[in-house]
Order: sequence, then C-alpha cells, then structure tokens
Amino acid sequence: MTVAPVLRPKVPRNLRLTAAAALVILVVYAGGAWLWPWSPKRGLGLAFGFAAALAFVVEMLYPARRPRARPFGTARAWLQAHVYLGVLAFLAVLVHAGLSWPRGAMGFWLLALSAWTTTSGLVGVWLQKSIPRAMADGLQVEALYERIPQLAAELVGEADALVADASDVLERFYREEVRDRIATLQPSWAYVLDVRAGRERALEPFRRMVTFVSAEEKGKVEDLASLLTEKLELEAQLRLQGVLRRWLWLHVPPAGLLIGLVVVHVFAWVWY
Amino acid sequence: MTAPPDLAQLRERYEQRLRLMVPAEMELLTGLSLFAGIPEKAREKVIEKVRKYIHLCTYSRGEVILREGDYGDSAYYVVAGTVEVVLGRPGEPDRPPAPRVRGGAHRVRPTDRAGARPGAERMIGRGGGTDTVVLSAFPAEVAPGGRALLEAGEIFGEISALSRYPISATVRAASPLKLLQIRLPGLRMLQASSKEFKKFLDTRYRERTLARHLKSVSLFEDVAAAVIESVREKAELVAFEPGQIVAEEGKPADAFYLVRGGYLKVSVTAGTADLAVTYLRTGDFAGEASLVLDDEPWPFTLQALEHVELVKLARDDFRKILAAHPKVEEKLWQSMVARLKLRGAAARHPVSSEYLQMAMDTGLIHGESVLLIDLATCTRCDDCVRGCADAHAGEPRFIREGQRYRNWLVPTACYQCTDPVCMMDCPTGAITRAVGTLEVQINPATCIGCSNCAKRCPWGNIVMVEQEERRPDGKHVELASKCDLCFGRPEGPACVQMCPHGSAQRISFKDMERVVETLR
Repeated sequence: MTVAPVLRPKVPRNLRLTAAAALVILVVYAGGAWLWPWSPKRGLGLAFGFAAALAFVVEMLYPARRPRARPFGTARAWLQAHVYLGVLAFLAVLVHAGLSWPRGAMGFWLLALSAWTTTSGLVGVWLQKSIPRAMADGLQVEALYERIPQLAAELVGEADALVADASDVLERFYREEVRDRIATLQPSWAYVLDVRAGRERALEPFRRMVTFVSAEEKGKVEDLASLLTEKLELEAQLRLQGVLRRWLWLHVPPAGLLIGLVVVHVFAWVWY
Repeated sequence: MTAPPDLAQLRERYEQRLRLMVPAEMELLTGLSLFAGIPEKAREKVIEKVRKYIHLCTYSRGEVILREGDYGDSAYYVVAGTVEVVLGRPGEPDRPPAPRVRGGAHRVRPTDRAGARPGAERMIGRGGGTDTVVLSAFPAEVAPGGRALLEAGEIFGEISALSRYPISATVRAASPLKLLQIRLPGLRMLQASSKEFKKFLDTRYRERTLARHLKSVSLFEDVAAAVIESVREKAELVAFEPGQIVAEEGKPADAFYLVRGGYLKVSVTAGTADLAVTYLRTGDFAGEASLVLDDEPWPFTLQALEHVELVKLARDDFRKILAAHPKVEEKLWQSMVARLKLRGAAARHPVSSEYLQMAMDTGLIHGESVLLIDLATCTRCDDCVRGCADAHAGEPRFIREGQRYRNWLVPTACYQCTDPVCMMDCPTGAITRAVGTLEVQINPATCIGCSNCAKRCPWGNIVMVEQEERRPDGKHVELASKCDLCFGRPEGPACVQMCPHGSAQRISFKDMERVVETLR
C-alpha cells in the first residue's frame, strides 16, 4: 500500500517509538485502573499528571532551539521531539484525568487547552507537510514572502511597458480587463484547497483576445497571460506562505495559556 | 588572537593593485624576448592587442608575489631583478610555525578539524591526500622545502593560470623586482598568436611539469620513471575551446587524452538524445579503449565545456609503451570497465544523465558543497537564513532565492567551487582555501572591498556588504561576504542544522550517486 507523502512520517522510527510509548501508557493505565480506583491526585494518576507537566515544560523549550541550544541536536530532531512528545503529553493528560471529563473549571480548561494545543499542533504538522508539497508541485514561481508585493509591482511595470506601443484593441483590453488583475494582489483562500484555483477562468479572456489581434501581437497577448499567471502564482504564494506563518497564532498563545494554567494547577495541588 | 592588519601595508598593496589597471608601455614590451617569437610584421599589432592584459609591477625585496595554495590568474615574466621560489614542506624545521590564521586560511588539517567530513582531504584538485597539489611551472629541480632563484627573462605561474591548479610554491622578490604580469586572456592570446610562445610554454610544461602531472594520475602512479619519460617525449599538448568536440562517438579512436585543465563532457547517443555519462576534469583521462582494443571506435563523445588543455598521445606511440609495461595496460582495462559501467548506468537510469547535464549546464558541477532546499518539504520559515545569521554575527551569508530545478531550490550560497575563480584577482589575498578543505573564506581583516571577487563569481554568490565604518570620502566601507560553510562550527553549516524539516542539504555535484538519491 502506498501512503500519500503528506501522511508519511518523516522519521518512521519516531512514529513507531511514540506508538509503542502510547501503548505502554494505555496498558499501565488499564492495569492501574483495574487494580485500584483511579485518581488524578495520587498514585499512577498523579504520576501521569507530573509526566504531562514535565512534557509541557520540555515542549515549551522548542523555541530555544537556536542558537545556543545548537549542540543538542538538529532543529529537525527538536521538531520531531516537539511533535511526538506533545502527542504523548496529551495522552498523559487524558490518562491523568482517568479518560473522563474532569469536574471543575480548572480541569475543564486544562483539558480543553491541552486538546486545542495538541490538535492545532497536529493541524500545523499537516499544513507544513501538505502546503509545501502543493506549492512545489503546482507553482513555478518561488518568492520570498516579504518580497511578493514588490515583485507583483514589478509585473505591472513590465505589463505597462509591453502594451506601450500596442494596437488600440490590445491596449483597451489591457486597460479594461487585465491591468487591475495584475496590479492588485488578491490572495484568495481558495488557494489553500487548490494552488491553481481560478487560473483557467482568469486566462480565458486571453484565449479570446488572441483571435482579435494581429499575428504580431499574439506574442504580446501570450506575454500578458504569462505575467498574469505569474501574478496568480505570487498570490498563491502569499496566501499559502501566510497560512504557514499564521497558523502558529492558533497554537502558540493557547500553549502559553496552558503552561500558565499548569503552573497554577501544580501550585494549587502543592499548596492545598 | 589574530594580529590586527597592517593598514599601511594593505593600502600599499591596494595602490599597487590600482597601478595594475594601467597597461604596460608599448616601448617596454616590444624590446622583450618574450615576444620575439611573434613574426616581426605582426608583432606590434599582437602586442597592442594583448597589452591591456599585461601590467608592469614592481616589488620590494621580500615582498610576496604568489602564495602557496592560492589560485593564480596570471603568468609573470621577470623583467629585472631576482625572484625566489620556495616550495613548502609541512613541518620543515626552518619554517616558522603555521599561524592559526594565515591570510584568513585556517590551517587546520581537514581530518583534524572538529566535524570534518570524511574524505574531505581528497575533495579538491587531485591532491591525493598530500598537503599541496605539486604541479607548477617552477623549476623541477626545486625539491619540497627547497629554494630556487629565477632571473630576468624567466616566466612563472603560467601553469596555475592555464590549468587552474593551486599555486604550489610561494614566490618572493629576492631583490628589487620588475615583473610583467600577464593575465589569463593575454596569455591565451599570446599562445594563439605566437607559435613560438606556445612552443615555449609547451616545452616548459613538458620539461618541468608533465612528468609530475603524469605521476599524479592514477594510471601512471606506480609505473617506472622510464615509462613516464617515454610518454613525456611523445605527448602532444592540445587545447580546445568551449563547445568544441574533442572526439566523436563512432569515429576511429586514435588517441589517448589526459586532461591538463578544464572540464569536458562525456556523452553517448541514445536514440535522438545526447546522454551525458560523466565529465572529465584535470587529472582525468579518456581514450583507453583505443589503446587496449583493435580498431575500436570512440564509445562516447568528448566535448569541451570550457577552455580545456589536454595531453594527447597517439595510439601507436602509446601501444609501444604498453608493450613494455603490462601493468599500465591492466589499469587501462580496469578504467575501461569502469567507464562502460558508467555508460550502462546512464542508459539504464537516464535521470542520472539528466542531472549530470543539468549540473554541467548550470555550473553546479563546479560545486564541492552546494546548498539545496527541497521545496516540497520547506515551509519557508527562513530558519536556515536565521541560523546562518546567528552563526555570522547577525549577518546572513545567503538568501533563500536562486535558480530552481524541479522541486529543488539552489539558493545564492557559495558553491565552494573546485576551482574558485573568486580567489584569482584578490589583491590582498583575503580569499583563501587551505588545500584539502572545502571552505573558501574571505578574511574581513584583509578584504579591502575592491569587489573583484563579487564580479568574478559566475553564480553571483558573493555580495558586497556595507559596513558601519566609513572611508575618508564619507562613503561606507563595503566588504565582500559569502558562505564559508560555517567554518569552525563543530555542528557544520548552520543552514542545514537549523532546518526543522530536513529540507536544506549540502551536496557535491561530483557525487552523482548522492545527487540522484537526493533529487529523485
């Protein structure tokens, strides 16, 4: 069976190790719950709570991977540890709570934030695997995120120069139907689903136009179509790179909040 | 600690460099024996043509003209004075201890260096693991560690310039000195316009260097001196320009070629396509089939990718030598089998041939350590660039932009070329590479910001970076900056280490197996 590249783990060994560790956690939980009444406040339940808290602290160290932490492995190893340990930490939280919905607001928020942070992290993993592949397979243009507006502006300049001495028909077509499309960056969300979304429809007028211009100007129409294609690809790059950057907003602030609540939770347990 | 640069000395060297921008005087040149071989009628015209590449330089006693390990782009003709040639020998008693930093070149042996890549010592030139590639245009009688004096009328440095070998000796002025510096284009022009001059250079190469060149080639490394001598006598020295066909597939094979300098493409015809099998560079050879098989046509086409210099041996001559030395024939058979395997592999895996062709077309073939980014896994987070900046005091040495091949991006990071052309023409010797290492480095303490290297780099991988310091005219000082593979960083290049997705890789396009494995 062939697994889609997006679903394929980068380091299969880490997935196997995590699966084995998860199995061990569940077996320990099943054994413990069978032998004794399960409580998050003592015994194995408490141990899993501590393990989860410790794992969260280690997870929090991920942003410290550079530059001082460089002797401790590659950034790739850090990310792998971050992802797989995060999944195990969430499992430890679930087991800590006895695989049941906790009572009380603190328990609710801790579990909800753990679930959100883990899920958003996994969504991030999926985005980080699927978007680059879609961009590499579907787009010819590659651009630095910060430079995209500048590159798009350059395209307008090129297009203007191209039609500077064109016939009235082509000049009007450019002015009325093309220029604004090249000049304005409209990074549609549809690019997330299909990196070439809307391209055929956007290029349709050019196919029509080719039949109305002289043989000499056909080349110019094709060049204009190329410029628009390039601009559409820049838009797709802008949207997709934007998604790759901004999904962290769904992950990092809740993770910070979670860490804060964990500290309060541990402090409360020690104090009371 | 690195000693601060002597600014006065640097300024003097820079000014000397500026003087080199002025071509030598016509009157001076016409009287020199160097041009005597040019037919009298054409002499003045030829000199006028090449004059822009010839400069008169003066050196004070003790001043260094060429340094061992650097790459030269010029030959030097001694007009007046005496030149001292010193052939280095590591660890010799009268040699001052090697400083930690010498003109920017960290002299740590590649194998001693933390994080050294295995086999790094064999990765440039044809050093065979020795400290220096001993091939030079200096008198052959100078043994390693020895000294020789060159007087007026002598020429030196031409082999390094023509064949792109690192200079194998340090040359100093033994007295107040006047030299004509003949830049590479001028050297080639003179070769083309004066049979005498070409003959002169060829004779010198044959007498002083060819024997050592032959000994450095695996085919001849164990053979007796008599064989080398026979080959040396019968060899013909030939040159080809880019695109020229040296040998054509299917045509009678009548010669054996040894590459003196430059790159050649080896290709076979598969249907209507031209399939690149491999490439040849300095020290490689071709044509062994013609020597061991009767009436065997060329099994491939040999095409010059740039200006190439070859040593040609006629089949009949070589066969006579082979008859007396079966060991050489045995090696030829081995080599032929290896070449046939390569040909078979290229036919079976056309993708390898495609990558090779791409590497030759784009110049990546020159790279010893090319940064590649897999766009199918790269999340464009720029951690590679940030890692690079962190490793270089906040100033990144590349940007994540460049040419794209399939799903791979080749950013504008130095390829660490086998023959770093940026090294030539550096007036202060600020660009260096310790022989046997990959890292071509620029020493900011001795860089004067002339931008020669940035202009020279064919791939645009050297940039001039504005510094806070200002020149007397108020303009900001600009210094050359390029990737140095994070030299001295035990974890290796930061761009690779800091990529969270393993998308950034460093590969040598000479290792086609790895290239195919990586790019597929």
